[in-house]
Amino acid sequence: MVQLEYGADESYKLVVASREKPYAQLEAKSVYGALHGLQTFSQLCHFNMKKKVIEILMTPWNITDQPRFSYRGLLIDTSRHYLPLPVMKNVIDSMTYTKLNVLHWHIVDTQSFPLEIPSYPKLWNGAYSPTQRYTFEDAAEIVNYAGRRGIHVLAEIDVPGHALSWGKGYPSLWPSKNCQEPLDVSSDFTFKVIDGILSDFSKIFKFKFIHLGGDEVNTTCWSTTPRISKWLKKHRKTEAEAYEYFVLRAQKIASSHGYEIINWEETFNNFGNKLNPKTVVHNWLGTGVVGRVTAAGLRCIMSNQDKWYLDHIDTPWQMFYANEPFEMIKDEKRQSLVLGGEVCMWGEHIDASDIQPQTIWPRAAAAAERLWTPYTKLAENPDKVTTRLAHFRCLLNERGVAAAPLVGGGRVAPFEPGSCLAQ
Amino acid sequence: MALNLPLLNTLLILLSLSTTITTSLPSPSPVTSHQGSPPYLWPLPAEFTSGEETLSVDPSLSLTVAGNGGGSPILRAAFDRYMGMIFKHAYNRASSLLTRIRFLSMVEYDITSLKIIVHSDSEELQLGVDESYTLMVSKKNELSIVAAATIEVCVSLCSHTFDSLLISLLACVFQANTVYGALRGLETFSQLCAFDYLTKSVQIYKAPWFIQDTPRFQYRGLLIDTSRHFLPVDVIKQITESMSYAKLNVLHWHIVDEQSFPFETPTYPNLWKGAYSRWERYTVEDASEIVRFAKMRGINVMAELDVPGHAESWGTGYPDLWPSPSCREPLDVTKNFTFDVISGILADMRKIFPFEFFHLGGDEVNTDCWKNTTHVKEWLHGRNFTSKDAYKYFVLRAQQIAISKNWTPVNWEETFSSFGKDLDPRTVVQNWLVSDICQKAVAKGFRCIFSNQGYWYLDHLDVPWDEVYNTEPLNGIHDPSQQKLVIGGEVCMWGETADTSVVLQTIWPRAAAAAERMWSTREAVSKGNITLTALPRLHYFRCLLNNRGVPAAPVDNWYARRPPSGPGSCYAQ
Repeated sequence: MVQLEYGADESYKLVVASREKPYAQLEAKSVYGALHGLQTFSQLCHFNMKKKVIEILMTPWNITDQPRFSYRGLLIDTSRHYLPLPVMKNVIDSMTYTKLNVLHWHIVDTQSFPLEIPSYPKLWNGAYSPTQRYTFEDAAEIVNYAGRRGIHVLAEIDVPGHALSWGKGYPSLWPSKNCQEPLDVSSDFTFKVIDGILSDFSKIFKFKFIHLGGDEVNTTCWSTTPRISKWLKKHRKTEAEAYEYFVLRAQKIASSHGYEIINWEETFNNFGNKLNPKTVVHNWLGTGVVGRVTAAGLRCIMSNQDKWYLDHIDTPWQMFYANEPFEMIKDEKRQSLVLGGEVCMWGEHIDASDIQPQTIWPRAAAAAERLWTPYTKLAENPDKVTTRLAHFRCLLNERGVAAAPLVGGGRVAPFEPGSCLAQ
Repeated sequence: MALNLPLLNTLLILLSLSTTITTSLPSPSPVTSHQGSPPYLWPLPAEFTSGEETLSVDPSLSLTVAGNGGGSPILRAAFDRYMGMIFKHAYNRASSLLTRIRFLSMVEYDITSLKIIVHSDSEELQLGVDESYTLMVSKKNELSIVAAATIEVCVSLCSHTFDSLLISLLACVFQANTVYGALRGLETFSQLCAFDYLTKSVQIYKAPWFIQDTPRFQYRGLLIDTSRHFLPVDVIKQITESMSYAKLNVLHWHIVDEQSFPFETPTYPNLWKGAYSRWERYTVEDASEIVRFAKMRGINVMAELDVPGHAESWGTGYPDLWPSPSCREPLDVTKNFTFDVISGILADMRKIFPFEFFHLGGDEVNTDCWKNTTHVKEWLHGRNFTSKDAYKYFVLRAQQIAISKNWTPVNWEETFSSFGKDLDPRTVVQNWLVSDICQKAVAKGFRCIFSNQGYWYLDHLDVPWDEVYNTEPLNGIHDPSQQKLVIGGEVCMWGETADTSVVLQTIWPRAAAAAERMWSTREAVSKGNITLTALPRLHYFRCLLNNRGVPAAPVDNWYARRPPSGPGSCYAQ
């Protein structure tokens, strides 16, 4: 199978010629461009109920298409709730309908550790239960399934915070029994485990990026645990410097396994000038970050929580559509450092019963257009695209994807009987 | 002995599994022994015993079939489906040396083949088709003394000739079985299988299993409503597929109603102008495909054409059906045209829906538009009808049309409450409104379907699973001959506020509670503390649904289709 490379050419040319000499032709530089072209072609096709044939209306079509951003992602969280394989595959399938191309898999967090790590086999004792787990082969299967659809899988191993579940299998990773986050910075074992995880990852996660997290690090447990506070004194580090040390050391380990690193924005906000210069900063917390990151010469991915967090169900699709990655950046060189963006489906209140469908869709589709379509072709007023998005939502339904009605924020049930196109 | 069997179609299905390892005698355990750890079964089988052993299942499990019905493509397709569900995890290569060693030492699987014997070659699917099955998971040579008499005779069947096989059968088990019983057995078998993450293989715990199962009620239904919201064909298929996991067997398709008419009717092609849009429609091929898909899972499709009320959408294509342009329901009782249209629709539907029942609705008929529209008022006068008489006239005339097409009519309970003694005696009454209607209907000799809206209406989101579970269709009916007339029950997923985006998690897991009430024995579901006897199993079943890609909502939410309250394990929410 052709290896899926980041930055591969995703362009295509689709021609559907008109009556006199009808034909349809798809041309692309890579197979992944062809996949996108097929998706577009499928949206041109339309079942005529009267004649009972498939038709393409409004020919001739002459489509030249390519994405605006090369990184167009969706985050899923399998730690707060376990998501079974069929559910993950459904999510991947539906991503292809909007030409999203990165599945950011936030595998592990405080609440559970569901993935098998062959180098440290007790880690998945932190799963919710023996059956809410992914075997190593399951993960490889997901990567393979996504890869065949032109979707990269970005694995995230969030350190040093958001890692309580690691200690279920290896309690020495905790600062102490009563203080279980962040991971013990003073212990070499911690970094051995990270190295083992990343070594195993390198066998199945072939995307050139790896996400190392680094967000929301509350260092209290470091300063209040005697063993660690001694270590801090000995190495003459403040808590903040220990945080920096941890992140940088983890980055080095990831680099040694051939990965380029993505970190959440707090790492940049706190010690941006110390980060590995090829770090990609993942903005989530506030606005204006993209500007500062690119001014510092680093690459950036946008996921600002006020507009692109799907678990904020009071955010309507219009706000998803209107969120502009370039914000105020006019300088072209800095613009080129913005790789793209990502909508985030955090899992605290999402499980297999309501994720895929109505919480992700249709709002993620609004963001997907923002990330694919050229800036000049985007609508300035999102309401102008309502009809087209309603049709797309009904197309998702037709394909068995339970996308929610457009009206009223995320995942509401329809208020009353009515046509799919009008709700 | 000569092959002189009184009951040619009294035959047995055996699912027997061959084993290679011998161990010591297992003893049969009482019914409650399986609680506390896997496997959990839903719905609970009628009779079963289990043991204390664990058997591994070969991922390249082979299928051997026998009997007249063994070659059925329905069976083969079901086996392939279930193999996909049971062996979901990709485990071709062991990842670490340790796992590889464990893997190699485990190359000997206990269970390598599945033998299914289906003696009847009939694939006819109607109400009352035999859905019973006997499932045995055991090691060949060791059988407990108590069970020996039954099992040994049955096991020895496989090596005997056809003649003596049947004779022995009649001696030990009297069960008529079809390919549809085999489907139910396959579902149970798939629930016995569990993936063990340590050995990365599929195991069956608590073997040996001996299960003899048959449903309590013949009619175990789910209603879907494609008029208030259009449900795409793929979604109806998802719903149908999920029904088979809980052994539900009737899909009651409430196709048309006041808001939209999405169905193609070749005889009256303008009717589907009443669809919400040109695309929210079903062609006759779509409908046939749904019927075929359901049949492959042993599920009957009962179509409903609700008349004379709930029919405003008919007039979009044929305004003559309305009493007047400003008064559009019920259908105009005065015109022969109205009944011509009904007859045309039923003629078209007869080609698509083979199920012996056809639902004609008849509920919530507000006759104001008849009383207030001049030509209808005059027609009523002319015949000396009250509006209630006209309602009765309409329903009975529609019934005769269905009967003339070889259907048995099903009607909502108001028809019985208003003019029960005039209803065609073949009518099946569907209860929904008043809680003791089935009692009254069976006392008058009618068959009844139980759908009490207080508990079994899935669009009532404030009914939690335990209230659904504790609802008993035979409540208040003590005479056995009357109890027989309650053919079963149905949970109803009305569509006013349920569309594609929420329908599956509104249906599940609560429909499962009703499914067990309708399949399992009355004793099993009525005794004991259901927090102990049912809840753990329902949690497990909900997670099984999720694992199969069905978005069943958390069990513990007291309000339906709400998200989980916070992070947590599937089994605890």
